[in-house]
Amino acid sequence: MLLAFTAVHAKGNAKSGQELTKAKACVACHGEQGNKPSAPDQPVLAGQHYDYLVRALSDYKNGRRNNPIMKGFAGQLSKQEIEDLAAWFSSQKSALHDQR
Amino acid sequence: MPRFLFSAVLGLALAFGAQLSLAQEKKAKKKAAAKAPAAAAAAAAPQEKAIVGDAKAAHDQKIAMCIGCHGIPGYKTAFPDVYHVPKIAGQQPAYIVAALKAYKTGERSHPSMRGISASLNDQDMADLAAYYGAPAK
Repeated sequence: MLLAFTAVHAKGNAKSGQELTKAKACVACHGEQGNKPSAPDQPVLAGQHYDYLVRALSDYKNGRRNNPIMKGFAGQLSKQEIEDLAAWFSSQKSALHDQR
Repeated sequence: MPRFLFSAVLGLALAFGAQLSLAQEKKAKKKAAAKAPAAAAAAAAPQEKAIVGDAKAAHDQKIAMCIGCHGIPGYKTAFPDVYHVPKIAGQQPAYIVAALKAYKTGERSHPSMRGISASLNDQDMADLAAYYGAPAK
C-alpha cells in the first residue's frame, strides 16, 4: 500500500519553466518573467508563492477555478509542466511582497 | 493543427471578451445615481464607473480581515489543502478587485474568502485594491 504524501515533493525546474512560458504562450498575457500583464485585471505572477501558483494552474485545469481563457492554457499542461512554470515564475522579481 | 489551435484560442478569447462586455452593460444599467467620473482608473475595475479607491480608508478601517492571513509571511491555508496564502501586496489593483468579486459571487471558491468578500461593497474593494495594489509597469 502506498503512503500518500501531501507535502510538496520535487519542485519544478525553473529553467524548463522559462522555456514553457514561450512554448505555452504565457508570455503573451503575463510577460516572460510574469511581471508584465497585458491588461489591468491580469495578475502579476512573478514572485508569487510556488505552491499557490501550482494550485492556481491546477485549479484552472481541473475546473475548480473557472476561467475560459486560463482553462484553455492550463488544460494543455502536464503536472510537471505546471510545477516547472510555477518554479520559474515564483523565482522571478516583481512588486509582490508581504505586507500588513 | 496549430492554425486550428490558434483559432480555438482566439475564439475563446473573443467569447470571454463578449461575455465581459455583456456583464459590463448589465452592471451599468443597474447602477443608480452615477458619481463624478474618476481619474484614478488604476484603483477601479475597468467596468466600474466613478469609484475611486482610498488607500487611507482601507488602512484605517478595512484591512483588519486581510492582515490575519495575507499579512503574515509564510502563512498557509488550512488542512487538507495546504498551500501558501498568495501575496497580494504589489498585485495589480484591478486583479485584486476581480478576485474579490469572484469570491463574492462564488465564481471562485474558498470558504474564508467567500465570507470576507461578502462583507465588502464595491467601495471597500476599491479601497483595498488602492492600498495593497500597485499597477505593474
